[in-house]
Amino acid sequence: MTLTQEFTKGLWKEIPPFRLVLGICATLAVTTSAKNGIGMGVATTFVLVFSNLLISMLRKFIPRNVRIAAFIVIIASFVVLAELYMQAYAYPLYKALGIFVPLIVVNCIILGRAEAFASKNPVLPSLADGLGIGIGFTISLFVVGGIREIIGHGTLFSVPVMWSSFKPFGVMLKPPGAFLCLGLILALMNFISSRKKG
Amino acid sequence: MRNLVRMIIVLTGICACSALVLAYANKVTKAPREYQLLKYVQAPSIKSVLTTYDNDPIKDRIVLKMGKDNKGRPLSTNVFLAKKGGKIVGLAYEAAGMGHEGLIHVMVGVNPDGKITGISITTQSETPGLGSRVTEPSFTKQFKGMTLSDSLNLSAKGGKIDAVSGATVSSKGVVTAVRKALELFPKIKKEIG
Repeated sequence: MTLTQEFTKGLWKEIPPFRLVLGICATLAVTTSAKNGIGMGVATTFVLVFSNLLISMLRKFIPRNVRIAAFIVIIASFVVLAELYMQAYAYPLYKALGIFVPLIVVNCIILGRAEAFASKNPVLPSLADGLGIGIGFTISLFVVGGIREIIGHGTLFSVPVMWSSFKPFGVMLKPPGAFLCLGLILALMNFISSRKKG
Repeated sequence: MRNLVRMIIVLTGICACSALVLAYANKVTKAPREYQLLKYVQAPSIKSVLTTYDNDPIKDRIVLKMGKDNKGRPLSTNVFLAKKGGKIVGLAYEAAGMGHEGLIHVMVGVNPDGKITGISITTQSETPGLGSRVTEPSFTKQFKGMTLSDSLNLSAKGGKIDAVSGATVSSKGVVTAVRKALELFPKIKKEIG
């Protein structure tokens, strides 16, 4: 595969969390608004890109038996970095995401990419992979967050977008709404793919 | 055996590097993190107790050492300065008094003559709907314009502050905190010159 293909596969073919159904915890919990979705996506992308880069650079030094422990230390370090800088320069976002920022450590997408890709491939493809999957994840969170914000609150990026007599469906902002939204998007994407094939 | 040594060395190396980077990042982001915390948590009460100013009181804050606590650790207080045209027109700082359920923290705004420009309760855990009513403006506005004198006391003790009915202990806590703050005022004034 070329570098461009490594990058673009994260945007449709393997887009998380719809195709790689990983990282569901963050997807369901923080997508109550488009802004939170994007914030979470950007933080995850940062961690994903740099952990992929470092793990790919160190892949020949890390002994197989302790690779998971080493990956987790590297990932956790980048997560704490992201947390510190968010706290220092984007405090309201940090408050809104709350416990889910430190929980990026256990986001399966990141460990998944480290184990399945970065530990077996050279630096440049790993970088392209991390960037592609990260941007794909950000787009997905934005879509889920946007849909939930529009239906559940009648706004997008806190700007009213629905007609004035629109009554928001509060359930969309609650956990069931997240499952509904995620499931329907998954179904839609599978439908489109199957039409394409057939 | 060789493999074991290698595992230990690699993991130790990675952990050590990670600790180094994080310690550095923690140091670099410490000041902006504190600033953000003050800006989003304390700024609303600071704004409400200070009157006309044109600077950023959170940026122009000074940290004063206030002796030691009962465990011997040094205590410090943030004093927020309100300036207009470069001249100090007011100070805001926090003090605490014992209420019914615990400490009540009060942000007190004082002008350079030692007159209160406003008070605002920052943290309290009083009984909701009863003691917690000390946070309401109808109670806190009574402090405006007062100085450290006998009238700064509950009316039952000969002062001019009417306690929230049914919440004498909570009201007394607030008065204690405000009095404590004003007792510090000469010292703070000397420090900032």
